[in-house]
Amino acid sequence: MKRISIDPITRLEGHGKIDIFLADDGSVANCYFQVPELRGFEKFIEGMPIEEVPRVVSRICGV
Amino acid sequence: MAKFKLASYWASACGGCDVAILDVHEKILDIAAAADIVFWPIALDFKYQDVEAMPDGHIDVTLFHGAVRNSENEHLAHLLRAKSKALVAFGSCAHIGGIPGLANLFTKEEIFKRVYQETPSTVNPENITPQPKVTVAEGDLTIPELYNTVHTLNQVVDVDYYVPGCPPTPKQIWNVVQVIVSGKLPPKGSVIGASEKTQCDECTLKKNGEKKITAFKRIATAQPDPAICFLEQGFLCMGPATRGGCDTRCQLSGVPCRGCYGAPAGVLDQGAKALSAIASIIDAKEEAEVQRIVDQIPDSLRSFNRFGIPASLITRKVL
Amino acid sequence: MTFEPKILGILCNWCSYTGADLAGTSRIKYSPNVRVVRVMCSGRVDPQFILKAFAEGADGVLVAGCHPGDCHYIEGNYKTIRRMALLKHMLADYGIEPERFRLEWVSAGEGDRWAHVVNKITEDVRKLGPSKIKKTAKKASPAA
Repeated sequence: MKRISIDPITRLEGHGKIDIFLADDGSVANCYFQVPELRGFEKFIEGMPIEEVPRVVSRICGV
Repeated sequence: MAKFKLASYWASACGGCDVAILDVHEKILDIAAAADIVFWPIALDFKYQDVEAMPDGHIDVTLFHGAVRNSENEHLAHLLRAKSKALVAFGSCAHIGGIPGLANLFTKEEIFKRVYQETPSTVNPENITPQPKVTVAEGDLTIPELYNTVHTLNQVVDVDYYVPGCPPTPKQIWNVVQVIVSGKLPPKGSVIGASEKTQCDECTLKKNGEKKITAFKRIATAQPDPAICFLEQGFLCMGPATRGGCDTRCQLSGVPCRGCYGAPAGVLDQGAKALSAIASIIDAKEEAEVQRIVDQIPDSLRSFNRFGIPASLITRKVL
Repeated sequence: MTFEPKILGILCNWCSYTGADLAGTSRIKYSPNVRVVRVMCSGRVDPQFILKAFAEGADGVLVAGCHPGDCHYIEGNYKTIRRMALLKHMLADYGIEPERFRLEWVSAGEGDRWAHVVNKITEDVRKLGPSKIKKTAKKASPAA
């Protein structure tokens, strides 16, 4: 089975990767979109003063 | 003059540094006139294999944003180090860890548990968490391995220059570009596009004299006067322990500095220096009274060292 | 073998260092676990010193100065009170046990008190076991 890997996906914010698997006749058999990035904002803002949170979560995406 | 080859890459970052480069507005055309951009995922369609195919030292300058958080970040740090004549740690994350560095107060397991099990919007009855390698019917799928600890760029590879800021200001970026174009590069290890002194040194807010505070205030519950020094009013401001160079953007916008430019020259640990400075202005002598005042700061480490935990003397929560 | 903690002591020249001297000349027996660095005033102790000591493998840190009101420089130890109060919060956020760091007042005449303070922190730290800070840093190092 032939595989086409697009790594990284460009011209967008963030990190992404696509693996496309082709059947023998060249048609797409399956396709996987993967996000290889995690920073953990959900966890590391816990317990932070509420007024500080906007200045931290604005760094989730700067685009 | 021959064009120099420029690359810009994000590791564990938000993309704000790339946008800050674009924020030089029409001067971006001057950058394009002076430089051949050979790798820039946010803006141009180059793949990792294109970088791998370059000979060593092919790129003149690489602006590396983002902390090193996973195996892909680390691989790209090594790859771009080899392919670049000058590697620049660009922005707070690459320089001192940045906001992603706050994850060093937790473990990978704690983060996975919160993100993939506990958040209210998560439905994950099978408890699936990211695995570096998964075998599906068609073959193996791989994603990078997340590390337990966030690293600064210079903890992983040799770094030539540092440009601080979250993000660096467009004015400073333009200064940095001019330094690069002029070819008169400063000594290796220099912090460029910033001042040697502190925020307070360049802050224009009105200072009335000696700072003496008996209570810490919070912006959530009190309104600061935007024309007067925040510390004098009792609001925690990291200005005394933060490198200048950003034209005090935050303070002029009515919020105190949070320290994204990192420690000033000669300081090992920004958080320790910040608390030292704040301690000096507390107006109390009795131990019980001092305790009452310092207990008003709700979140000590993340307040004093918001951006720089990975670059501090103690780089993460004790395991 | 029992664990022998390595503790850094940072002592002010005028009171605590002289107090420690008195403990010696008075032949008081006490734990040999504190390595002493003398500074002119406890107000000269930068929180960076303490973090660096922990980062480089100290199991505990003891800062000692003149009693409040007795500072040779009038106000130096008031600054120490404030700094160390803030630092204790920060150490807690790093997950460092509070018993590993102490601020104590020992005057030049209190040789017995110095011995007591040293015995106390040594026992407390011995109970906690070796500090994991340096090990954490090694484990977290990108080279590891």
